[in-house]
Amino acid sequence: MEKRKALVVGIDGVPCTLVREFVERGYMPNFQAMLGDGYRLYQMDASLPDISSVSWTTFLTGVNPAEHSIYGFIHLDRRDYSLRFPNSGNVLAPTFFQVLGLDPGGKESSLARRYLPRLKEARTSIVINVPHTYPAYPMNGVLISGFVALDLARAVYPPVLVSTLKRMGYVIDVDPSKGHRDKEGFLEDLFHALDRRQEAFDLFFKGGWDLFVACITETDRLHHFFFDAALHEAHSYHGAFIDFYKRLDDLVGHLYDMFRSQYGEGGLFMVLSDHGFATLKREVNVNRILEEGGFLKLKEEGERYERIASGTRAFAMDPCRIYLHYKDRYPLGEVEEGEADGLLEKLTDLFQNLKDEEGSPVIRAIYRRGEIYQGPFMNDAPDLLCLPVDGYDLKGRVGAETVFTDSVFAGMHNQYDAMLLLPEEKGFSGKPQIGDLAALLLDHFCEEDL
Amino acid sequence: MDYLDQLESKSIYIIREAYYRFRDIAMLWSVGKDSTTLLWLCRKAFFGDIPFPVIHIDTGYKFPEMYEFRDRLAKEWGLNLIVGRNEEKLKDGMGPFKGSKLECCTELKTNALKQVIAGYGLKAILLGIRRDEHGIRAKERYFSPRDTQFKWNYEDQPAEIWDQYKSKVEEEEHFRIHPLLHFTELDVWEYVKRENIPIVELYFSKEGKRFRSIGCVPCCSPVKSDARSVDEIIEELRVSKTPERAGRAQDKEDTYTMQKLRALGYM
Amino acid sequence: MREDSLKFVIVGHVDHGKSTLIGRLLYDTNSLPEEKFEEIKATSKVLGREVEFAFLMDALKEERERGITIDTAQIFFRTPQRTYVIIDAPGHKEFIKNMITGASQAEAAILIVDVDEGVREQTRRHGYLLSMLGLNQVCVVINKMDLVDYSRERFEEVKGDIIAYLDGLGIAPSFVIPISALKGDNVASLSPNLEWYSGPTVLKALATFDGAKIEERPFRFPVQDVYLMGDRKVLVGRVESGEVKKGQKVVVAGRGEKTSVASIEKFPVENPEKAQYGESIGLCLERQEGIGRGEVIASEPLPRTTGTVRGSVFWMENLPYKKGDKVVFRCVTQEVKGEIHEILRKYDPASMEKKEEGAQEILPAEVAEVIIRLDRPVLVDPFSFISEMGRFVIEMNGIPVAGGIVSRE
Repeated sequence: MEKRKALVVGIDGVPCTLVREFVERGYMPNFQAMLGDGYRLYQMDASLPDISSVSWTTFLTGVNPAEHSIYGFIHLDRRDYSLRFPNSGNVLAPTFFQVLGLDPGGKESSLARRYLPRLKEARTSIVINVPHTYPAYPMNGVLISGFVALDLARAVYPPVLVSTLKRMGYVIDVDPSKGHRDKEGFLEDLFHALDRRQEAFDLFFKGGWDLFVACITETDRLHHFFFDAALHEAHSYHGAFIDFYKRLDDLVGHLYDMFRSQYGEGGLFMVLSDHGFATLKREVNVNRILEEGGFLKLKEEGERYERIASGTRAFAMDPCRIYLHYKDRYPLGEVEEGEADGLLEKLTDLFQNLKDEEGSPVIRAIYRRGEIYQGPFMNDAPDLLCLPVDGYDLKGRVGAETVFTDSVFAGMHNQYDAMLLLPEEKGFSGKPQIGDLAALLLDHFCEEDL
Repeated sequence: MDYLDQLESKSIYIIREAYYRFRDIAMLWSVGKDSTTLLWLCRKAFFGDIPFPVIHIDTGYKFPEMYEFRDRLAKEWGLNLIVGRNEEKLKDGMGPFKGSKLECCTELKTNALKQVIAGYGLKAILLGIRRDEHGIRAKERYFSPRDTQFKWNYEDQPAEIWDQYKSKVEEEEHFRIHPLLHFTELDVWEYVKRENIPIVELYFSKEGKRFRSIGCVPCCSPVKSDARSVDEIIEELRVSKTPERAGRAQDKEDTYTMQKLRALGYM
Repeated sequence: MREDSLKFVIVGHVDHGKSTLIGRLLYDTNSLPEEKFEEIKATSKVLGREVEFAFLMDALKEERERGITIDTAQIFFRTPQRTYVIIDAPGHKEFIKNMITGASQAEAAILIVDVDEGVREQTRRHGYLLSMLGLNQVCVVINKMDLVDYSRERFEEVKGDIIAYLDGLGIAPSFVIPISALKGDNVASLSPNLEWYSGPTVLKALATFDGAKIEERPFRFPVQDVYLMGDRKVLVGRVESGEVKKGQKVVVAGRGEKTSVASIEKFPVENPEKAQYGESIGLCLERQEGIGRGEVIASEPLPRTTGTVRGSVFWMENLPYKKGDKVVFRCVTQEVKGEIHEILRKYDPASMEKKEEGAQEILPAEVAEVIIRLDRPVLVDPFSFISEMGRFVIEMNGIPVAGGIVSRE
């Protein structure tokens, strides 16, 4: 029997509604063709919070943050309020490609326990540019880390491939700071990076893999700086934005065609994004809200969270993870376990009633940790998580002078509008969640063993 | 000739070329493992008696072990030791806790060296840098001209082929000469071992930590290591893949991560 | 370097299979470092063979670029009989430069031609360079035979073309071998797919080429400087060829004065008996009055003393040479003023134009065969005999502008 294959294309930050719109307008003929060829487009929920590192890790591990332990790009060191930057080494659940390789890297999870016994032989995976996989680690196949990969030498497994990628001029990531100073140049870089990405996909496509994960992150970068141009025809970058999506459509179509011609109908092809995007109107400084509400006290000395002073009851980390300042967890903490409920109610009230200067509500949903997280690493989970109404980008900045500030960015993430393209027969009845997909993929590889 | 012999012979050849071209030459000795290796190679090149001064730039913040080692070796090997200190700035209280670290480095190291070069009218300095130290070093040449501001025009460098080195000094220039350029960190340790070159004990593990590179006390952090001898260091380097300045590299990576996140509004 | 060795270069049109052939040679002779081999094996399991050798080449190159070896751009492999050194010729731009700097040390060449594509422009260019550098041990391999179903007809066709072209350059290849570097046909072992071919494999062909016998070369010691040790004067320098023993008879080559070695100095070794090729040492001769930098202490056969040097030069710097410009000729520790007296023929690798006669200038990146006239005689050996004494650098205004090698004459 023909061995099963799967090709997963990740397109970071591409909203479902935008894909629908662009397909309708004829900008994305390849997507259109797939939709007419037995594929279905779903709107999907991203992880909570809808940050790339959390969402992709949730996708790769198929478990929620309390099981993989990644809650954001930054993590607070409770001993001294300094910042830590979690990387692939901090992901405490195995990814589905580690499970498929029958080598979970010493990690375990509910998903791995479920599937490891059902998989009979190790499968080879090629995983390119998925965020939060840096530094690259040994696995059965090839792993090229995505954002925030810094040094190519540590971003590639097996390391023998580093020099080939270097020679090819492989781009780990565009320089996002250029988006602030040189928009034209930044756009050029985005197109260039897409070309390099395709070269790497093509190179490794030839090999004898079982699962291929090809991730494109340039979309997210484009959106941060140009999302307001997406549907705004008079916008000076509207044309460029459309061109970029055409190029993206080309690339996805190219991967689809290669996959189909090589593996026929037997393979599973899917496209997903890790979160949606919306046009940004205002930035909302959550810590300023807490300060004004008397929950957060800051001192002058120190940087960022080192400024937290005694008297602080709660603080926020990007995007809107609210942590209670517990007595036994933080050097200056003073919240007792027994006070927590009352405090959380007060905070919920505060955020529920938050309005912008024109009286529009800002917060769409508020969750307590117990509602959304479950697993061994609850300790790092925020006590409260807020999701904003589109347009209000919640920020964990410390020391902002006002609650609402203008942003230098054009777009912001949202949680409800991620996209998923799947063959109809793999269909979901309800709204898919990004964490469901790992099981779907693993099932694909188990079927033949049954 | 084995591999280390080849490295050694090339270094000696370069040291002798440098001395032939510039009798107004000196060697910069940081007391670290690389420049102590260079010092040993100079002794070999001149059959034990180094005919030029050896400069140690003293920031006043070096480890006590380093001063002790420096004075002991200078005596044993009969070195003509010049200690360079930016006295004026030291009197003003310049230090790593005042102003930025960069400023401190500029004043107490770079400017102190400039003062020595000017004071002694030196035309060339031998330094123990290695090509594998970090990225920019890959472009270094064995003979590298610098202007009086110490600027290095690395895009416009003549090729160095077949041991023929640029040697003509422009009015405003002095030469930096790097006889150790082709050594790697591991080569240095293997050579230290073979030649039995004395090394400051800071490099060896104490209570689970050792220094992989040494300099001023406030700016050096030790790495975790149990290597208590040259042999154990060699063994450690063979298996470890972390870069030499690992202690600081991590900070650098964090800084860089932070920059990238901020550029996308994540912090 | 005790054992027999051969340095050779693999040239040919881009994508005709240079990297794959190098990878194949390393692979089939078990010459990969264990670690690398394991890694390549693991990687190739994932990626299939096609790309495997290219990855290997990249990885090896990367290691060299870190500047670990003294001579860059070299790859080694071994057979039970001898060591081979492949001098790598990477991208076309660097190629010519490498060819004349590092790669001109080659004692033999493999010219590779894709049987499907046949002779292409770089095939011709590289062939031309081989002739200019005087390489006469040439093996042509017709690669990718698997793509044409091992067709003898197609092989003969391409073979005819390449032989005709090389003949015009005065090169008669010693072998023309049909191979598939990818599949391994006729590289290390004769292929059942090519039963109609009766010649040797690539490895066998290489084995017939003569290598330099470094250990048999005469002694050369260019004096670098003279140091005073106590009341003794010591000549310092590096043994550029051969070896030297205490008491050995030597000649101060430029003067023809015969003397013998009184002592060898190697700090901290006491009274060493001998020094070998490559060592930086000190030397005291029985009679050494007035000897200084630039002289060469040697043994028979002596280097040539000459006021005119014929050789090939490669212009590196953005500073063209116009006939009549003064240059400094530097070879080992010798430095003599002079000028390029005649530009015999020249070659512009970019435009592929041959500008053979009457050239008045040499432009950046050009290769030229020249006669250099010097203000006073120098000591040189043909490059093919003692490369260390047969390569030189041309300096203008204190900047090395060109590298060159001394012709056989």
